[in-house]
Amino acid sequence: MGTWLILLRPKIISLKHRLRKREGRSLLKPLVLAGLAAAFWVFTFLAFKRVLFYFRGVELFGDLLASNLLFMILLTFFSILLFSNIISSLSTFFLAEDLNLILSRPVPPDRVFYGRLAETLTHSSWMVLLFGLPVFLAYGWVYKASLTYYIVLVCALIPFLIIPAALGTLFSIMMVNIFPARRTKDVLFLLSIFFAVILYFMLRFLQPERLANPDSFASLVEYLTDLEAPFTTFLPSSWAAEALLPFYQDHRSPVIFFLGLLWSTAGAGIVFANWLFRAKYFDGWTKAQEARKARITQMPLVERFIRLATFYLHPRVRALVVKDCKTFCRDAAQWSQLILLAALVVVYLYNFSVLPLSRSPLPTFFLQNLISFLNMGLAGFVLAAVSGRFVFPAVSLEGPAFWIIRSSPISLRSFLRSKFWTSLFPLLILAQVLIFWSNHLLQVTPFMMILSSVTLFFMTFGVASLGIGMGAIYPRFRVENAAQIPSGFGGVFFMVMSMFFVGAIVILEAWPVYTIFMAGFNHRALSLFEWTGIILSFASVAVLIGVVAIVPMRMGLKKLEEMDF
Amino acid sequence: MIAIDSLNKKFGNFHAVRDLDLRIPPGEVFGFLGPNGAGKTTTIRMMVGLIKPTSGRVFIDGQDISRQPEEAKAVLGFIPDRPYLYEKITGREFLEFIADLHGLDSGDKRQKRIGELLIFFDLEDWGRELVESYSHGMRQRLIIAAALLHRPKVLIVDEPMVGLDPKGARLVKRLFFELAKKGMAIFMSTHSMEVAENMCRRIGIINEGRLIAVGTMEELREKAQSTDERLEPLFLKLTGGEGEGVEWEHG
Repeated sequence: MGTWLILLRPKIISLKHRLRKREGRSLLKPLVLAGLAAAFWVFTFLAFKRVLFYFRGVELFGDLLASNLLFMILLTFFSILLFSNIISSLSTFFLAEDLNLILSRPVPPDRVFYGRLAETLTHSSWMVLLFGLPVFLAYGWVYKASLTYYIVLVCALIPFLIIPAALGTLFSIMMVNIFPARRTKDVLFLLSIFFAVILYFMLRFLQPERLANPDSFASLVEYLTDLEAPFTTFLPSSWAAEALLPFYQDHRSPVIFFLGLLWSTAGAGIVFANWLFRAKYFDGWTKAQEARKARITQMPLVERFIRLATFYLHPRVRALVVKDCKTFCRDAAQWSQLILLAALVVVYLYNFSVLPLSRSPLPTFFLQNLISFLNMGLAGFVLAAVSGRFVFPAVSLEGPAFWIIRSSPISLRSFLRSKFWTSLFPLLILAQVLIFWSNHLLQVTPFMMILSSVTLFFMTFGVASLGIGMGAIYPRFRVENAAQIPSGFGGVFFMVMSMFFVGAIVILEAWPVYTIFMAGFNHRALSLFEWTGIILSFASVAVLIGVVAIVPMRMGLKKLEEMDF
Repeated sequence: MIAIDSLNKKFGNFHAVRDLDLRIPPGEVFGFLGPNGAGKTTTIRMMVGLIKPTSGRVFIDGQDISRQPEEAKAVLGFIPDRPYLYEKITGREFLEFIADLHGLDSGDKRQKRIGELLIFFDLEDWGRELVESYSHGMRQRLIIAAALLHRPKVLIVDEPMVGLDPKGARLVKRLFFELAKKGMAIFMSTHSMEVAENMCRRIGIINEGRLIAVGTMEELREKAQSTDERLEPLFLKLTGGEGEGVEWEHG
């Protein structure tokens, strides 16, 4: 292995400098991020603790449920790790910018291999490890596990993380020898999106809420028993689960044997990956350097459609819209996220179709309208989440090529407007489809249908302005991967602000809607006091939307104008 | 055509450009020289509106780049040293996009102009390929084509020959001469003494943010109190790098 750690030194030193640079600067950013991470961590721990306590209380098959849950979680982690290791190893082994520097120096292949493997492992694993820990701690807490459990947990998790890293590296070296690296990355990115969508559908259509319904338990146990067989296969996730289960319940399995399986597989994985690296890495690296030619470069129909749809815009603004749409359609990393979005919409609407309204003790008519009102907020949150992915990064996506805009005779105001209009229309369509179909499934009153459609229509202007404005206030022009843009401080801050915005509108409309609804329900006229309150509430909503639709864009414009690029 | 008045730029406590005054008339190729970190790129970025000056003004064809940015940029062509482009559009689409930004009529004339530029810069076969498949030199040539597309009155160039092969470099040199003859003012920052000597009528030398000398070769010789015919010794004398030798031994 030698001194491969030398190769990690620049990254560690860079991290140190970044942390040191932070001293004396505002603590807001790290505090908000740490607070959000801590909140998520605590929430996961408490949620799992509650679920596991519930399982413990279920007679006969509570333990089966808990152990199956563990198998499922570890299998999910393993799949996520495998995918993220493949994508990450493609970057670290073949696409990273510092490879030219390293490979032109007399660095032995072993050092390159171990250095890059360590980087791949760290990039892919830290998040799963961070958010997986509260789950394992919750298991330990609920089942009052001994100290040995925590030692075994560490001993099992280390090879559990190494195995997908070695497999991912093996796989990416093979793939790059067949396809160019950049193409491989696109294909894998697409596959991972499909994988996430399938997982999402699977989980949703399993209807986990049935756990709360005792009538369906018999069939569920049958289902879980059926599921037991595939878990005991030759998967490292099953070995890890087998090593941990004896600490939770009366489950006899040879812990040392399964730990041995995990460690020996991890060792073998590294040896094989290293062997393949020595044999085929340089061929693959050479191939990855070759420029690829474009496949589909002509999009006359798309272009004609966009130009037609934006005929009312100034030609300069239209040029930007056309450029953005083309880039979006050609970048697999961007358009493939639409698949996730489509899955989200289908599951969202599916949820409304399976709502057990008839079993509620409340009158169906009342409940339908209550849910419809809450749905307005939910659709707003979906809108905010989608904007976090597509609208907030719009300015940053100009990347280092932003100099072209800055040195062109187009004002930054027009530039931001083009981004706003490009984002607004798809968002409006999404919002109206969500609200119309969900209300249609709920069979709500015409009043609720109109109110929620109109509210969401104007809310979309606010969310789009917030996304573009905050994207301009916190731009990230020099990220290596576009997916990093929404995960930065600005992206998280945008999500928080847009949630506040949507929440505030729902709160402001709650009282007037309830008052109007109850007056209609009791067949009585509204009093003067009620009318005043209703007008004031809706006026506040209008003012709030107006402010949010204007102020962030102005602030973003000011920030961009003052920014040295 | 280009007028710079008392231009200053500070980054925190660091004074990158100090009290810069310059006039460049139409038809002149002006060379802007200086050691690394002297303030050349900062000056250029202020001239094209990429960064705001701390104080002072830049006029392009009589328009203040800070106060009338759109009017000034309409007559300006800029070629940066690093050819960052949109990766997912083709070379031809990029030129179409720039034409739209400059409000050029979308007719046969425009198509003809784009076609001519692609042929001139040897990019005709690549016009329908995505920029992501271009080499460094091809990107640089595409950027030069884009900078000339709208027939600017002023051309500002940061390191024109970086990334170009000898054929491309010769092509660009000849082109700049022709454009200057037709009345274009060209402001060019470069590290190449040979390029500056051959192409520029006047040369400005910036050091530690200050313009320490400006003029023809003859005037620079006077300023440096030297009789040397070549630019390099004059540059080294003026910037204080003349006496610095290689004092360490290899090995």
